[in-house]
Amino acid sequence: MTTTIAPSTAMTPASPEPAAELAPRKRRFKRPPIGYAFAVVFLVTLTLMAFLADYLPFIPYPDAKILGPDGKVGRYDWGPSWTAWFGTDGVSNDVFSKTIYGARTSLQVGVFATVLGIVVGGALGVIAGYFRGMVDRVVMIITDCLLALPALLLAIILVNRLDDYRLDTAWLGWLSRKWQIVLTLGILAIAPLARIVRAQTLSLREREFVLAARSIGAKPGRVMLREILPNLIPVILTVAFTGLSILIAAEGALAFLGLGVEVGTPTWGKLIDENRNKIDESWWATIFPCMMLFLTVLSFNLIGERLSRRFDIRQAGV
Amino acid sequence: MAGTGKAHLRDSPDVLLRIEDLVVEFPVGRTGLKVNAVSGISLDVLKGETLGLVGESGCGKSTTGRAIMQLPRPTSGSVQFEGRELTSMQGDAMREARTRMQMIFQDPISSLNPRRKVRQIVMEPLTIWKRGSEAERSAKVDAILDKVGIDPVRAGESQPHQFSGGQCQRISIARSLVLDPSLIICDEPVSALDVSVQAQVLNLLEDLKAEYGLTLIFIAHDLAVVKNISDRVAVMYLGKICEVAPSDELYANPAHHYTSVLLNSIPVPDPEVAITKTSIEGEPPSPVLPPPGCRFNTRCPAAQDICRSEEPQLRAVGEGHFVACHFPTVTPVELTLR
Amino acid sequence: MSTQIQATSRDIDGPLLELKDVTTHFKTERGLVRAVDGVSFTLERGKALGIVGESGSGKTILSRSIMGLLPPRGTIRGGSIKFEGREIGNLDRKAMRSVWGKEMAMIFQDPMTSLNPVMKIGKQIAEPLQIHLGMTKQNAWATAERLMQDVRIPEAKRRLEQYPHEMSGGMRQRVMIAIALACGPTALFADEPTTALDVTVQAQILDLLGEQRKDRNMSLVLVTHDLGVVAGHTDEIAVMYGGKLVEKASTRGLFANMKMPYTEALLLSIPKLEDRSHTRLNAIAGRPPDLVNPPKGCRFSPRCPYAVDKCRDEEPPLIATAEDPNHLYACWYPVGSEAYHEAKVRIAASKDAMSAVAVAGGN
Repeated sequence: MTTTIAPSTAMTPASPEPAAELAPRKRRFKRPPIGYAFAVVFLVTLTLMAFLADYLPFIPYPDAKILGPDGKVGRYDWGPSWTAWFGTDGVSNDVFSKTIYGARTSLQVGVFATVLGIVVGGALGVIAGYFRGMVDRVVMIITDCLLALPALLLAIILVNRLDDYRLDTAWLGWLSRKWQIVLTLGILAIAPLARIVRAQTLSLREREFVLAARSIGAKPGRVMLREILPNLIPVILTVAFTGLSILIAAEGALAFLGLGVEVGTPTWGKLIDENRNKIDESWWATIFPCMMLFLTVLSFNLIGERLSRRFDIRQAGV
Repeated sequence: MAGTGKAHLRDSPDVLLRIEDLVVEFPVGRTGLKVNAVSGISLDVLKGETLGLVGESGCGKSTTGRAIMQLPRPTSGSVQFEGRELTSMQGDAMREARTRMQMIFQDPISSLNPRRKVRQIVMEPLTIWKRGSEAERSAKVDAILDKVGIDPVRAGESQPHQFSGGQCQRISIARSLVLDPSLIICDEPVSALDVSVQAQVLNLLEDLKAEYGLTLIFIAHDLAVVKNISDRVAVMYLGKICEVAPSDELYANPAHHYTSVLLNSIPVPDPEVAITKTSIEGEPPSPVLPPPGCRFNTRCPAAQDICRSEEPQLRAVGEGHFVACHFPTVTPVELTLR
Repeated sequence: MSTQIQATSRDIDGPLLELKDVTTHFKTERGLVRAVDGVSFTLERGKALGIVGESGSGKTILSRSIMGLLPPRGTIRGGSIKFEGREIGNLDRKAMRSVWGKEMAMIFQDPMTSLNPVMKIGKQIAEPLQIHLGMTKQNAWATAERLMQDVRIPEAKRRLEQYPHEMSGGMRQRVMIAIALACGPTALFADEPTTALDVTVQAQILDLLGEQRKDRNMSLVLVTHDLGVVAGHTDEIAVMYGGKLVEKASTRGLFANMKMPYTEALLLSIPKLEDRSHTRLNAIAGRPPDLVNPPKGCRFSPRCPYAVDKCRDEEPPLIATAEDPNHLYACWYPVGSEAYHEAKVRIAASKDAMSAVAVAGGN
């Protein structure tokens, strides 16, 4: 083992270290993660129900007409009951079912828009932060412009424009409203993410392990991918989760403005919008989708917060 | 700005690294001012030698180490390594040259990527340069980990934060050895370690140097540590070299006033030794506006007018002993040219 | 306004600080960290005590325990800490506030993070004066200026208006000292005050502390890992290892007549200026002990070159040497004893055997 090193007294080491960990990870508090558990359970259940809704017998189709106790189809008449858990709305559809199906679209829009923001924004941020200089300035100008544009205005313009383009261009046939919204929200998410990632990259770049990687001859691409990116993941994840909730709510806002997805596809925003006038008489049609939106956003936030705490403790040793 | 001269450079075929007129300047924000971190120094290191670079914070020693590695590139000056000029190398040639010289940093834990397993970290250089087959690389990494005293199995399972500071430093050393470099630059490698662990790491470095035939540049602020591990020591102050001498000679006969002050300031673990009243007041001047002439003149007990106007050049005061001072404490000698 | 410490319970004649079996344990994920595990000593007025140890020895936690600067939750404290005869070990933060600043003060290792970056220096010094001594703002700032001069900061008046980032590390440390000294404490704790500073500045700061101590007849507790620092600036030294006090003696006595193998090993492992270059250092094998599961018996036994079974099984008590009742140590076979010499011979023999093996093995 160490026979080539001068065998002085037992005082000289270079013996394998014992397996016991040295650094105790001190946690200062240990609250039972009720919020986190709830959030996870809720989201998992919701997602499963939403995407398996077609196969679940207790969820009627959103466009099915629910009959009232007198066997007739009615408007706004039926509140929450055993036949319709969240009641029925103006066109006799089951609110619960619409809410669940709506979850599908809302979640999809939120997730895809966030992913778009992360991929493009993150890439821009890392490149800007790592190379600095001219590249950084260019990226910063782009993000500043994006941030300066009023989000709502941009959304309205984009959606309208994309509608026109879609009609004109053949290969844009897939660009349904839903995807337009994904694109729009994604573009809006790029700038904040780029800034956050850039800031983190700037600080990580100066760390000694990055310097060490460069000194062993790693190319910039490798340094960014293998050294910097893994250390960005905690930040990106926490921002992503909280940002996700914002984007879902934003979709709701767009629906409010009449820019929602196509007719026939329920989303939470649409539901809330369609039924808000009758909130005095049949509150259930609006309040329940509202509640679902609220709970979803809350859950994502709780998970995001927990993730940030968990990664922070790790990074305390860093 | 004139440097302190090159009288101390040697003309030997064994010179591994030669720095001439190295200047490193950093801009200060947008003010147009510059931090004169390193202002025209020249040094050389022979193969198999350990050069100690010592000075207090702000003297430019760490910056010198990084400038040698071209990380970042110096503002001007020449760095010749193994006969090749590094400052003009680009891209792939530069990256390739970097494998021949490695660096060990001060903070052991933050010099390792916190998200990766230790074994991967040590294997990384071999992976990048595709040296040998998978099995050969594995064997090499295991052998080196063993040599530095880290259990290879544990290294494969654990991340840096699960190791102590001393162990992390050993891991850094292991990583720097896998590519068989000829030069290792150690930037304050033991400053962040406990006293008892320092000795372990210093012994380890000496052993590895002997075994692998390494050349070391040891940068530190602790003079006793530097003396212990170096053959030759260069003292820096505010971006300039004050004195260069073989270790024992420097400590026995310091010729520069700053060196004397440094030596006197070191707390000696012996209560019988009377504490000499520190003969130096004040703080080092800012590297943004360094004093003219000899940069130590503002605090030097022997400063005269000439010190404030003219920069002293390095001249010989003994065998291999050079000092940049107008009034050194050891009389300069004329070295006859051989 | 702080409440005055009752004069009746103050003991002017006795020792300034009296610790009896002080323990500080932390509840962590891994278990109970026994950071300080039964430390007892006394400190006289006006004396300088050095507490020496490596990381994990408990020296910093000990000084913070005395000051009462521990995290509020997850901490279990035991033992008695008496300051001027008055028990302070069981006081809560509110009660300690009357002690902090006025009776005891602390300076820390990193002056940059210990000073408020957005508050002017003058305000940071004047604040404790206003709070603890009830001075008016004018008075406080004038006193602050005087304090800055005491700690030898040039251009004191101008510096009062500056912010911490405008000053160098050495100067910031002086400001910290000024803040600590502002209310005239009787005891000053310095936790690695010079570790982050350059060696020339270190010397200045230590001289300053010594000077102030003498002028104010203040007690100084210097917590450090550097034996060189304590050698020149303390009257007494306490060596800590693994949460325990393992040796305590007058400074002269300690260096002249070391008893603990740990202290001896520590001294031997430091590179010294007098040694020739490339002198092999006598490194201490292994690492500091795990404070959650400390070794049974003597805590240094896993690393002690002279350890025998008794050391590993039974923990040695703290006893006084025959020559000097004030020199305490905790070792079964202290340096200089018969058993120690026997062990040395044993080791030398095995060293020869090992090198013989190595040579024979043809490495």
